[in-house]
Amino acid sequence: MDLEFAESFLRKIVDRAIEYGFEEAQAAYSADASMAVEILMGEVSSFENSSGRGISFKGKLYGQMGRSHTTEFTDEAIEFLISSAADNCKVLDDEDPDFIYCDPENSELIYCPVNEAYEKNTYNRFVELGLSLEKNLLSYSDKIKAVDYLRISCSKGPDLMVNSKGLRVFKDSDIISIIAGCRAESGDVVKSGSELWYGNDIDLFDEKSFIERLASRLLPKLEARSVKSGSYETIIENEAFISLYGSFISNFSAYAMQKGLSLLKGRVGDKIASDCFTLSEIPMYEKAVNKVPFDAEGVLTYDKDIISEGVFKTALYNLKSAYKDGCKSTGNGFGGTSVTNAVVKEGKRSVDEIAEEIGEGLLITDLSGLHAGLNPISGDFSLLSEGFLIKDGKVADSVEQITIAGNFYDIMLNVKETANDTRALPWANGEFFSPSVWIGKIDVSGED
Amino acid sequence: MLSDRLICDIIDSAVNSGADLAEVYLEDIRYQSVGMLNGRVLKADSGFDSGYGIRLMSGTNVVYVYSNDSDENVVMKLTKEACNAIKKGDKVDIIALEELSRATMSDIKIDPLDISKLEFVDFLKRSSSVMTTFDPAITESSCSLKTTNRISRVVNSKGINKVEDDTRIRLAIEAIATKGNEKQSSRVSPGTLRGFEFINEYPVVEKTRECCDKAIRMVNAGYAPSGKMPVVINNGFGGVIFHEACGHALESTSVGIRNSCFTDMLGKQIASPLVSARDNARIKGEWGSYDTDDEGNSSSDLLLIENGILKNYMIDELGARRMDSIATGCCRRESYTYAPTSRMSNTYICGGDDTHDDIIADTEYGLYAASMGGGSVDPATGEFNFAVDEGYMIRNGKIAEPVRGATLIGKGGDVLMNIDKVGNDLEHSAGMCGSLSGSVPVTVGQPTIRVSSIIVGGRDSDDDCDTCE
Repeated sequence: MDLEFAESFLRKIVDRAIEYGFEEAQAAYSADASMAVEILMGEVSSFENSSGRGISFKGKLYGQMGRSHTTEFTDEAIEFLISSAADNCKVLDDEDPDFIYCDPENSELIYCPVNEAYEKNTYNRFVELGLSLEKNLLSYSDKIKAVDYLRISCSKGPDLMVNSKGLRVFKDSDIISIIAGCRAESGDVVKSGSELWYGNDIDLFDEKSFIERLASRLLPKLEARSVKSGSYETIIENEAFISLYGSFISNFSAYAMQKGLSLLKGRVGDKIASDCFTLSEIPMYEKAVNKVPFDAEGVLTYDKDIISEGVFKTALYNLKSAYKDGCKSTGNGFGGTSVTNAVVKEGKRSVDEIAEEIGEGLLITDLSGLHAGLNPISGDFSLLSEGFLIKDGKVADSVEQITIAGNFYDIMLNVKETANDTRALPWANGEFFSPSVWIGKIDVSGED
Repeated sequence: MLSDRLICDIIDSAVNSGADLAEVYLEDIRYQSVGMLNGRVLKADSGFDSGYGIRLMSGTNVVYVYSNDSDENVVMKLTKEACNAIKKGDKVDIIALEELSRATMSDIKIDPLDISKLEFVDFLKRSSSVMTTFDPAITESSCSLKTTNRISRVVNSKGINKVEDDTRIRLAIEAIATKGNEKQSSRVSPGTLRGFEFINEYPVVEKTRECCDKAIRMVNAGYAPSGKMPVVINNGFGGVIFHEACGHALESTSVGIRNSCFTDMLGKQIASPLVSARDNARIKGEWGSYDTDDEGNSSSDLLLIENGILKNYMIDELGARRMDSIATGCCRRESYTYAPTSRMSNTYICGGDDTHDDIIADTEYGLYAASMGGGSVDPATGEFNFAVDEGYMIRNGKIAEPVRGATLIGKGGDVLMNIDKVGNDLEHSAGMCGSLSGSVPVTVGQPTIRVSSIIVGGRDSDDDCDTCE
């Protein structure tokens, strides 16, 4: 759709809402186009292509913020958006006011990092890359029997927002991702493993290192055994630590604290982690594929330490929770509260050097069931895990069929060291960067 | 949203480009929902979304394009891209469209979309007022009610021309109990294809009290022990263990590419002889039911396992081609933004002979999983994990102290073979299942069962245990 038409449609919605009686109003247009190729057994098994668009509206009436959504672009759709939001305002009973915002000095927010690299994302390029990747994965080891899932996809889409306070926001971003899942077999033992790459220039994809990383993590699993239940000194590898830590990140939201859904309520300034642990939010982090200069409420983002050398420095605020606590938004309003690019400060030593000091313990590389095996409020977790034994100071035998169980808040206080091997995963409204983390002792359940 | 003429043009173009199956899927979704938190209405939402997907198949080569922009130029551009990408196969004949038919598995007396949001609020307040006054230990509470009407139409080159029209309601009640720095939540979330009469008949006050009681019990509970032990799994949502540990590995999505621990196992013993299991999408009014699947085939009541012997896989059209078999009417998707694939519906272990009490009494020591949380599985290896939301130790044949924080892990094949008791108290429970084609409503179910040995991931060892394996 023509963006000029989209913008005029948004302005029409806002004008009509004010005419209807809304005190404040905001309308947003979102469109996306995506393409994906899947490869299976030397052929293109699937090709997907899509385009989509939608309009969302929010407006304040009777002191309540009503919302509605549609995919239609007609006069009837405008009436639907406004009457639905008005109906919603009639039943809402929120004691905390919400806001539509515009900083007069930043009323025009534009961020369009999409460049010509996106044009390289063609069907033929994806097919060529996918077929090569599948072939080279299978030839890497005769134990890799199948590439059960190989998908290369890209997406791109503009977001446009205007409101009755004078704000105009335009953002256009893109991403490419490559994911491969392989099956390895040895005798009766079957194991699977996957690897993800993402970026915004397909030329930066390094097939060799992708294959080596996938294989180096998958093949040792064929020899994996459980270990005896007990308490083990443990390092959680970078990506596994991201998935664990990321599952508890909502506890840093001021909204969660205000609603009694976070044990961090009232603890700003307290020591909540060990001295060696620093967690920062860096919205425009140079290493991040997805940079975030402003949030979805039109507030500029900025760098901040959430935890600095173990001390809890700030909760994350959107406009609504900031008003309630009498402070300013921290630029974390994303239809609620969310984090952009989160970075755990890395240490100096490698995992191997830390393992040498540990002597006997575990290196956990994979955690499963994070959606079910943890209590996001209490911090308790018990998770299916895989990894390696640390024996005589070396990363040694592969380990499967164990759980690690503990408490997120205890782990933060017990962190002994962060390694120097930072990796990243897409997370929340940006990416989460973390090195491997030595968390001290943790309870392990396995064979008796 | 697309005219019949345009739909026929799409199918013509696709078949002329070499597709041996061309399918157009159209979807309209209307919904409304209300949510309360700590006694206040903080969410009210309503919407209407529509879109379409065009799927071309040539052997096992699949092209899928979708959009919610029904402008003819956009539709034909997407169609052209799909036609260019499909592998060229032998020319097939297009079969004339059958007369449009409509079907539903909804069982509705009162259409929930005719109910105002204010009535939603009145109902939710009955739950909310219980939670906010139940006990000071209940410090946070939430409840929500959502209804969705989904009208989908499948038209394809084999002449299929069918509409499925289902309306679902889901209620969710959650109480959080606090003790010092500990917080434990308890949740109940029934779902149905019945009308608003289901809500009117629902014993909301009683169920909310049970929810609060459970949260308080769990916040006062000690941690579950670690190690291998017998586990008795309660009926109803306990069936999630079968859904994850076995059901996903019986879908042709996995079996069709030999990525399942149950590949080539038809007719073989994969479970204890006590176990029979079905996937039945044809239970009127049940949350996971549907009459016509998302590629136009009639749904089925499929016997998966009979006395431990594997009888059937769940197969969609693509899986049928890969497995040289026939589709079983199990092809589903969350919405038009997903290509459909083989999925479960109402999947359950059939009832056996033992009573719940006899199974407990027969267990000297172990864990009783009264209420299960979610879990996940790797279909290739069968490795699974499940959270136990509400657990108790079993000591000397009696349910003893509550325990929390337990996770069950193992391999699906081992667990099925280790089921040594099956109760006579089959119950179903609503859930959502996430997989390749998105999140779809499913029912899990089972009677009380006992698994003779399973790894319980808890904290520390149980000092009182002298009969652990």
